[in-house]
Amino acid sequence: MTDRQNIDTVLAERDAYNAALAGTRRRGGSWPALLVILAALALFPLVQLTGGNWNYPLHLMLYAFMYVAMTSGWNILGGFAGYISIGHNVFFCIGGYVSGMLLASYGISSFLTAPLAGVVAMAVGFCVGFITLRVRGPAFIISSIALLMVARILFDNWDFVGGSNGISLPRMELPVQYVKIPYYYAMLVIAVASLVASYAIRHSKFGLGLRAISQDEIKAESAGIDTRFYKILAFAISAFFVGTAGAIWGEYMTYIRPNIFLIILVAANMVLMCILGGKGTVAGPVVGTVLLIAFNEFFVSQFGASQINILGTGIIMILALMFFPNGIVGTLRRRGRLPRILDWD
Amino acid sequence: MFEVRRLSKSFGGIHAVNDCSFAVDEGSITALIGPNGAGKTTVFNLISGTLASDSGEVWLEGKRIDSLRPHQITRRGMSRTFQITRTLEDLTVLENLIVQSRVTGIGGLFRKAIGSAEEARAMELLDFVGITRLAHEEARNLSFGQKKLMDFAALLMSEPKIILLDEPAGGVNPTLLEAIVGHIQELNRGGLTVLIVEHNIELVMSISHKVVVMAYGSVIAEGEPDAIQADRRVLDAYLGAQSADA
Ligand SMILES: Nc1ncnc2c1ncn2[C@@H]1O[C@H](COP(=O)(O)OP(=O)(O)O)[C@@H](O)[C@H]1O
Ligand SMILES: [Mg+2]
Repeated sequence: MTDRQNIDTVLAERDAYNAALAGTRRRGGSWPALLVILAALALFPLVQLTGGNWNYPLHLMLYAFMYVAMTSGWNILGGFAGYISIGHNVFFCIGGYVSGMLLASYGISSFLTAPLAGVVAMAVGFCVGFITLRVRGPAFIISSIALLMVARILFDNWDFVGGSNGISLPRMELPVQYVKIPYYYAMLVIAVASLVASYAIRHSKFGLGLRAISQDEIKAESAGIDTRFYKILAFAISAFFVGTAGAIWGEYMTYIRPNIFLIILVAANMVLMCILGGKGTVAGPVVGTVLLIAFNEFFVSQFGASQINILGTGIIMILALMFFPNGIVGTLRRRGRLPRILDWD
Repeated sequence: MFEVRRLSKSFGGIHAVNDCSFAVDEGSITALIGPNGAGKTTVFNLISGTLASDSGEVWLEGKRIDSLRPHQITRRGMSRTFQITRTLEDLTVLENLIVQSRVTGIGGLFRKAIGSAEEARAMELLDFVGITRLAHEEARNLSFGQKKLMDFAALLMSEPKIILLDEPAGGVNPTLLEAIVGHIQELNRGGLTVLIVEHNIELVMSISHKVVVMAYGSVIAEGEPDAIQADRRVLDAYLGAQSADA
C-alpha cells in the first residue's frame, strides 16, 4: 500500500467512527418498551383484586417510585451541575410538613397539596441556593450538611409543628387491601414527572449549561453562561421533586416527625443511588434506586433487619463502583455497552 | 474600541497588575507582550471578569464593563481563551462549541440543546479549523493541539467583536502554529479585533499592528512593532527579567 492509500484508509476509518458516534447521539431510548413498562406499573395494583395480600410489594414499589423521584431530582443539581448536596432531605421534610400541616389543620388531602408543597420546597431551595451556591466543591457539601443540621434543630424545637414528637395525621378510610394504592399512583406520577423533567433538562440549553458548569465553572461563565442563575434554578427544581415526594410520604406514614425526614440515611440514599446508577444521566437514578432497594431487601430477607444489611449494601456499593466508576449507566455508555432501553440521554 | 484605564490588582503583597493602561483599536491585532509574571494573564482575567480588579476601568465600545460578570461581558461581544486550555472534557466537541452560543431569556433555556442552525454554524467553524471529523468525539479524547483548535473554533460561536487570546501558540508545533496564525489573520481581515498575548516575538512582530509591552504589572512601552523592537526599555525588561530569573 502506498502512503496515500494508507492515509485515506485511516481517514475513512475516522469518518466512519465519527458517523457512528453521531448515530448514537440521535438514537435515543426505545420508547415503545418504556411505555409497556409504564403501562405494566400502572396496572400492577390490580393484583390486589386476586384476593392475595400484595401490600408489601406495593409498599416496596411506591417506596422505589419515591426514591426515583427524589434521586432524579437530586441528580439535576448533583449530577448535571455537579453540586453534591447531602442535605437534600431538608426539602423532603419541607414538603412533608407543608402538606402534613394542611392536612392536620384543614383536612385537605396531600394529594391536592403536594404540588404546593413542592413549590414551597422550591422557593426555599431558591433562597438556600442563593446563599450556599456561592461556594463550590467540599465547601458546598459542608454547607448542605449544615443546612440539614440547622433544619433538624429548627424542626425539633418548633412547637407549632409538634417539635420532635411531630404531629399525627388522619388516616384515609379504605379497606386494607386498597390502602396503599392511592399512594402508589401518586408516587408513580411524581417519579414519571421527575424523569420527564430530567429528560427535558438534559436535552435543553439549560442542561448543556449545567453540564458545562459541572466540568469547569470558569470556562462555563466565560462561555456566556449565567452560572449563578443556572445553579440556583437547578437547585430549586431539584428541591421541587424532593418536596413533592415528601408531601405524599408524610400522609402515607400517617405522621410528620423530624426523624422520618431529617435523618442522614434519606440524604445518603439519594446520593448513593444516584452515584451507583450514574450521576448526570437520566436513567441512572432509576437503575441506582432499583438496585440499592433490591440489595437492601435481599440482605434484610437473609439476615434480618440488623446492621448486616447496611454492611452488605455498603460492600456491594464499593464493588459496583470499582467496576463501574461512572455509575452503571455512565460506565456502560462510555464503553458503548449501554442497552438501548436505558439510553435516555 | 476597547480600553483599559489604570487597572490594578494585587494578590497579597504582589502587585500583579499595577496602574495598567492601554487601548486596542477596532479591527486591529494588538499584541500584549512581556516577560513571565509581567501580569498579562491577570490583565486578561480582569478584563473578562474572571477576576475582580482592585481599581481601574475597562471600556468596551464606549461602555464600562468592569463591574459586569463574565457571561455578561461575553454577551457584549468579547470572548477569550485561557492560557492553559480549558475544555469541557465530558462534552463532545460539537457541544463544546454549542455551549458558547448565545442563549436568551428563560424560554431560551429550555430550547433544544443543539439547534439545527447552531449545529450548522458549529460544523462550519470546525471545518474552518479542520477538525470536522472529531465533531462527535468527547473532548477528553482530543490531543493537545486538537483541543487548541477546538477552543479556537468555540471562541467564535458567540460571534464576538473582539477576542482575547492567551498564548495561543504555547506548546504548539510549527505546522499548527502556522494554521492558527492563518486563522487569526483571516478573521481579522473579516473585521474581528484581536488582543493576543504571545511569547513568540517573531510571530508577534509579523502579525500585529500594535504592541503593548508589560513588565511588573505596568505598561512600559507601546507602539508599532518596528518601534517596539528598537526600544531599549523593552530589551532591558526582557533581559532584566531573565537575569532576575537566573
Ligand atoms: N491567583 C493568583 N494568586 C497569587 N498570585 C498570582 C495569581 N495569579 C497570578 N499571580 C501572580 O501575579 C503575577 C502575574 O502573573 P500572570 O498574570 O500570570 O503573568 P503572565 O501571564 O504575564 O506571565 C505573577 O507574579 C504571579 O505569580
Ligand atoms: Mg500568562
